[in-house]
Amino acid sequence: MNTCPEQIVHYMHAYLDGDISRDDERVLNEHLKQCTSCQELMDDLIGAVQFIEKAEHIQAPSGFVDGVMARLPKEKSQAGIQR
Amino acid sequence: MDQLINKRINEVLKGNQEAFEEIVTLFQHRLYHVCYRMLSNRQEAEDIAQEAFVRAYINIHTFDQKRKFSTWLFRIATNLCIDRIRKKKPDYYLDAEVPGTEGLTMYSQIASDVELPEDEVEKMETQERIQYEIGRLSDKYRSVIILRYIEELPLQEISDILELPLGTVKTRVHRGRAALRKQMGNL
Repeated sequence: MNTCPEQIVHYMHAYLDGDISRDDERVLNEHLKQCTSCQELMDDLIGAVQFIEKAEHIQAPSGFVDGVMARLPKEKSQAGIQR
Repeated sequence: MDQLINKRINEVLKGNQEAFEEIVTLFQHRLYHVCYRMLSNRQEAEDIAQEAFVRAYINIHTFDQKRKFSTWLFRIATNLCIDRIRKKKPDYYLDAEVPGTEGLTMYSQIASDVELPEDEVEKMETQERIQYEIGRLSDKYRSVIILRYIEELPLQEISDILELPLGTVKTRVHRGRAALRKQMGNL
């Protein structure tokens, strides 16, 4: 992999960010076709991201909202007893 | 959605505390989830997420209603999380089950400076492993990876939340991905 142009790794990340130009993408694809170690790196990066994306959504515990409301500073008595 | 939120914010500004409850209800799960992913600990996540809402309430007059409320709220929360991570010492019990998680042990709550032996890591369930790998990232990379791949936010929004230039966010996402790949060599 040491002999590969450094730019290729940048193209991989640009590709993963969805902001690669068509020309750069063509260069990347051409390179990946002939370079197994870069193809492996690309696969690993995609695999790592896909693994993290499997994270399940976790909900706030019940009573969370009440907890926040209880922690708020006391209302300034603007509406009520002000004279 | 933004219209409804601004309406509630204006009521809060007029002194109606109850109007804030609706805002908390709307965002509680997203905010808690981000805090949990950052901190790997449910109690701390609850504490910090609640604190973030309190700070949002106190500073609500500084919120620019032309902007996105969730961005502002996430900024408060991620800053609090990063502060907490930097102060945190690893002082928990590894075998203790995390309350309400059905078997999720503290193994998934280990700070980034603790490395487990490989055979321990291999025994982990997927969800446990995901949190373990996120927790091993430095806070710099952790925040962007969470916002990008768990909250699925666009890079520009992450840049607004973290108040970092877009280029810096991109670099951190790249390095974060590279770090994950390196960590998970044995996946």
